[in-house]
Amino acid sequence: MSDVPRTSDVPSGVQELYPFLYQRPAEPDAVPAEVARAARDKAAEITALRRAVVAGCAGEIAACAEAMAERFAAGGRLFAFGNGGSSTDAQGLATTFLHPPPSARALPALSLTSDAAVVTALSNDVGFESVFARQLAALGRRGDIAVGLTTSGGSANVVRAFEEAARHGLLTVALAGHDGGRLAGLAVLDHLFVIPSASVHRIQEAQATVCHTLWELTQHALGGSSHTARGDVR
Amino acid sequence: MAQAKGPDNGPMGPDTGPRRTDGAAVRRAFDRREPAVHGIAEQAGRLSEVCRDMAARFQRGGRLFTFGNGASATDASHLAVEFMHPAIVGKRALPAVALGNDSATLSGIGTQEGFAEVFEHQLRAFSTTGDIALGISPDGRCPNVHHAVAAARELGLLTVVLSGGAPGDAPAADHLLVVRSADPLVVKESHMTLYHLLWEMAQVFLERYGTELIA
Repeated sequence: MSDVPRTSDVPSGVQELYPFLYQRPAEPDAVPAEVARAARDKAAEITALRRAVVAGCAGEIAACAEAMAERFAAGGRLFAFGNGGSSTDAQGLATTFLHPPPSARALPALSLTSDAAVVTALSNDVGFESVFARQLAALGRRGDIAVGLTTSGGSANVVRAFEEAARHGLLTVALAGHDGGRLAGLAVLDHLFVIPSASVHRIQEAQATVCHTLWELTQHALGGSSHTARGDVR
Repeated sequence: MAQAKGPDNGPMGPDTGPRRTDGAAVRRAFDRREPAVHGIAEQAGRLSEVCRDMAARFQRGGRLFTFGNGASATDASHLAVEFMHPAIVGKRALPAVALGNDSATLSGIGTQEGFAEVFEHQLRAFSTTGDIALGISPDGRCPNVHHAVAAARELGLLTVVLSGGAPGDAPAADHLLVVRSADPLVVKESHMTLYHLLWEMAQVFLERYGTELIA
């Protein structure tokens, strides 16, 4: 086994982002310092990415939160979905709306990946690309909100879910990465936030900030308190 | 761009004036994230030590158990799937289980023994010396995380805690990474960066050391 990954094993995007991680020769003694340096570089990277997102999307995020608040005020509910790490992020979004920090208003939200029976039944019997669309067809109503997260923008089940949601009159909110992938060309989307990064991890971290800001502004627009801090800890 | 606030005053802050939902409110919300991220950079050396110790456990066959509550439960699941099925093609799959995924077990233990026992019980049943226990608590005060980490230490697991708020509230662990913010959503986002780094840098240690055992 080699001490370093063969460069041919590593996707070129990753090497370009973090070239020093894949340099030869490797002296194990040098690894801790290199890893610490990488951690500092990536902290700088997420801050720069968040600044790029807010520079490009601040107005759209505010408009989206207002639209979501209007739906909630009229009795709408939120459905969140994604695959892999994005499925857990969708669950995080749903639970933040449904069971928010104290003093904020609880709002109806459901993650479409939390029920293993439904997910496996639909995947086995219908197909994985329909796993969210079928749930939205059954549960969604005009006036509800569909929020889908994907880092690539290309997940077939997320694309299908948005098509189904739009057919049923749901507000469609998409979070993607890279160049937006297939979602960039999807005309049915009401709101699309593309995180301009090639790193799956940084995309997810910036998407979380977009989701949390949507939550905060939705609370604000509904007149609820979104104060979650208990005071200064510095 | 609005000036980033130093101390974190929570969403909307105490000084935001009349309520508006506009781009300026979005910019203020984003600015509030920055001090927490600076804190990650300041902990880079410690982060490297955590990754080294986790990689050493994985090298010897250890498995990772992750746990947290509410939105942090979703982070525990996110971290576990990073290890089990890496998003980056060619990276090594490593054994990891999130202890919040089984609602039958959670509700069963919660009803009979109490919710403070839900993670400790599973660790005592599943884990062995040589494994890794990683707890996530946005304010460091979750009783079930405290119980589980204490049990893990007793069982000989490597213990890692991601917390927020005041460091003194977190359970005693081999490694503690604290996000200095009182806003649980800001803490959660920096936890995401921290655990993404834990995954990536543990992979780096494993790749660079190869078959040579990590001390």
